[in-house]
Amino acid sequence: MAVGFRYSYSRTLFIVGVLMVALAAPAAVRAADTPRHGGILLAVIGADPPSLDPHQESTFATMQLVAPLYSTLLQTDPYAYPKIIGDVASEWKISPDGLTYTFKVRPGIRFHDGSPLTAADVKATYDKIITPPEAVRSVRKNAYVAVTGVEAPDASTVVFKLKFPSASLLENLASPWNVIYPKKYLDKDPNHFKLNVVGSGPFKFKSYTRSATFEGERNPDYFVKDRPYLNGYKFFISPETSVRAAAIRSGRAYIEFRDLPNAEVEAIKKQLGDKVAVQQTPMTGQFGIAINNTVKPFTDPRVRKALTLGLDRYTGGKVLFTLTGLRDVGALLRPGTEWGLPDAELQKLPGFGRDMEKNRTEARKLLAEAGFPNGFKVVLKNRNVKLPYQDLAVFAIQEWRRIGIEADHRPLETAAWFADGRDTGSFELIIAPTVEYSDDPDVFLRRYTTGDPENWGRFSSPAIDDLFSRQSRALDHAERRRLVQQLQKVVLENVYYMPGLWWTRNVVHWTKVKNYVAPPNHYSNQKLQDVWLSED
Amino acid sequence: MHTYIAKRLLLIIPTLLGAAALVFVIMRVIPGDVALLIFGGDAGGHIDPKQLAAMRQRLGLDQPLWVQFGTWLWGVLRFDFGTSLWTGRPVMEELLIRLPLSLELALAATAVSVIIAIPFGMLAAIRQDTWVDYLVRVVSIGGLAIPSFWVGILCILMLVIFFGWGPPLEFTPPWVDPWANFQMMIWPVVTVGYRYAAVTTRMTRSTMLEVLREDYIRTAWAKGLRERAVVVRHALKNSMLPVITLVGTEFAFLIGGLVVTETVFTLNGVGRFVVDAVAHRDYPVVQALIFLIAFGFVVVNLLVDLTYAWFDPRIRYR
Repeated sequence: MAVGFRYSYSRTLFIVGVLMVALAAPAAVRAADTPRHGGILLAVIGADPPSLDPHQESTFATMQLVAPLYSTLLQTDPYAYPKIIGDVASEWKISPDGLTYTFKVRPGIRFHDGSPLTAADVKATYDKIITPPEAVRSVRKNAYVAVTGVEAPDASTVVFKLKFPSASLLENLASPWNVIYPKKYLDKDPNHFKLNVVGSGPFKFKSYTRSATFEGERNPDYFVKDRPYLNGYKFFISPETSVRAAAIRSGRAYIEFRDLPNAEVEAIKKQLGDKVAVQQTPMTGQFGIAINNTVKPFTDPRVRKALTLGLDRYTGGKVLFTLTGLRDVGALLRPGTEWGLPDAELQKLPGFGRDMEKNRTEARKLLAEAGFPNGFKVVLKNRNVKLPYQDLAVFAIQEWRRIGIEADHRPLETAAWFADGRDTGSFELIIAPTVEYSDDPDVFLRRYTTGDPENWGRFSSPAIDDLFSRQSRALDHAERRRLVQQLQKVVLENVYYMPGLWWTRNVVHWTKVKNYVAPPNHYSNQKLQDVWLSED
Repeated sequence: MHTYIAKRLLLIIPTLLGAAALVFVIMRVIPGDVALLIFGGDAGGHIDPKQLAAMRQRLGLDQPLWVQFGTWLWGVLRFDFGTSLWTGRPVMEELLIRLPLSLELALAATAVSVIIAIPFGMLAAIRQDTWVDYLVRVVSIGGLAIPSFWVGILCILMLVIFFGWGPPLEFTPPWVDPWANFQMMIWPVVTVGYRYAAVTTRMTRSTMLEVLREDYIRTAWAKGLRERAVVVRHALKNSMLPVITLVGTEFAFLIGGLVVTETVFTLNGVGRFVVDAVAHRDYPVVQALIFLIAFGFVVVNLLVDLTYAWFDPRIRYR
């Protein structure tokens, strides 16, 4: 009892501390210095984009490179995540029945080729996202199932018509991935933007050398007056973490937007002192383990329950944090947000209780009841990426060994991880991350519904499908919250999927980089329109 | 000699065809499909079978394998290596961005290796079992035992920690800015050159030791020739044949085989290009690169064999 009290007291202090830092950080970063025009922002990035079309991609490598070149209809407030503000849209209204959304497009916006941005371009963009032509990929089209059509009655009005009210349409329209393309290029080739860039953002495309550099230069005709401050930006592409950290230490680059491990961050701080700042933020991302619910012995809920009971997530958070940034224990939505399950509720669910001896005893008992008194052998497939994929797997394997389950770790290169795992269902257990641009339940929970392409575990529960559908249409916030929490409990009580740990990221930058506030994901707030350099 | 060269040139054709066929088959046997990857991405499989079929058709993957192979070979005969399935750019265009860097690195590392390895290998052999020999052996074994990428990371960290300086992150060709090029390339050249020199030093030492024990060397000593004449005029030339083979093979390897070193030093070279292409199942790129690397190996081997003739007159007169 005493231990429990001490823990919850320290935890409360910790949460208060984190909140204070989180609230103070944006203010500190938005220091009251006078913005200075000029300079090139030099950044390092850990991957090369598969293509330059954000509609077709889901990696930060595409997003961070091209976000400054484009506009979106709405956007997340760069200083106040998750507040939604307009970008191309100056205003909008929603009909009382929630079935019609009308947006006004700002006048005077021009694409980098000089042509005006009108409602027709917004419509063409969303038509491509929601109903892509053949041989055109659209990663997020399922987020718009409520939309029956997009209309452009005049050059400055866009109307989204819905078949049922949607609780998350505005969040989805503020997605940083939904950049607006000029219609005339889409009409000729809907894949045009995989290789080309014609945006209306604060920067214009300058050059791209695959696996090496990506550059943008200031757009003097940007529709926001007196922006951007920078003359340009340049990304150096390096997949090696220690090389990116060294680039920051030597001043060859000023910022790494995604994440650097704590050990590297400490070394940088030690060497550069107050020349650098670190913005540590929680992430809208979680690394967990998908269970193939269609193969034996995982068709038996007792076996699935034993697996999750065998994981000591609280110790995992302590051990893995310094190595990987994986720290927080939570359910299917980010802990600490309005959607996450409160601690007291979470701890009642299998695998989330704090008494590990009790959990392991129960796990062994369940395995014996299921016909595996001596445990069993299983293959855990994984992506051959060390941070944090393999570290999480190694931790889980060690934990399961304590309840008699011997997991054989099988890292696969990315292509095989998709083809010989996720896409074909040829796995028993597989490391399955969930990283999104928003905390919205529609974005995070769709993957637990029947037949969803991201339902790696291939399970089907009418209760989950019903709860998802109802929360998606619930315009009453409290009601939606209740349904969302109920849905999470159904998934976790039946152990259809095993959440691992929620991610925390470190954005390290020289203090001369001003006005960049790291949101809790590495996709949004990448337009750099307000960022400036206090010196070159 | 001319017949020999003609025979060797003709042998290039089946060798390259074999390499091309092998890579073609391997790329299609291993799990992973470029169309699936293009749709699947990192996020999950939003895959509609109709969309997938249309994508396969667009990429030409719906054709029978022999048709795909034939089409590709016909293109190669016209120096058209196709376009990347992933980026849509011509393979040659992508390759030409990376080739100067890889060639510069390979040439410079080879030069460093030869300049270090031959004199030190000779010295170690001539002064066998003295402190000079031991020192050369220890340093060269170190070069073999320590991975190049680790030496590279160590180099960068030492520079950053002790001098607050790091090598540039972007390649500048030497004809554009020689100083910027030098600042970037010196570290990978030293890193790769050290390992390469270690291998070559050990080869030079052992072949030199063998030659120094030959009868004709003993005769040269007996004739009362000076050490310089015995070593340089009689022993060196004959001990060079295996060393030349090694240098040639290593040079060809360096053009496409320095993936990790290129990653550590943010070099956009051919090695990283090959690995990226394999990971993305970008068949035309992998086929073209392996074909061209195989071609490079074959040409270097041919040059090595021709050099033999210069070193060993018996080959010339055969």
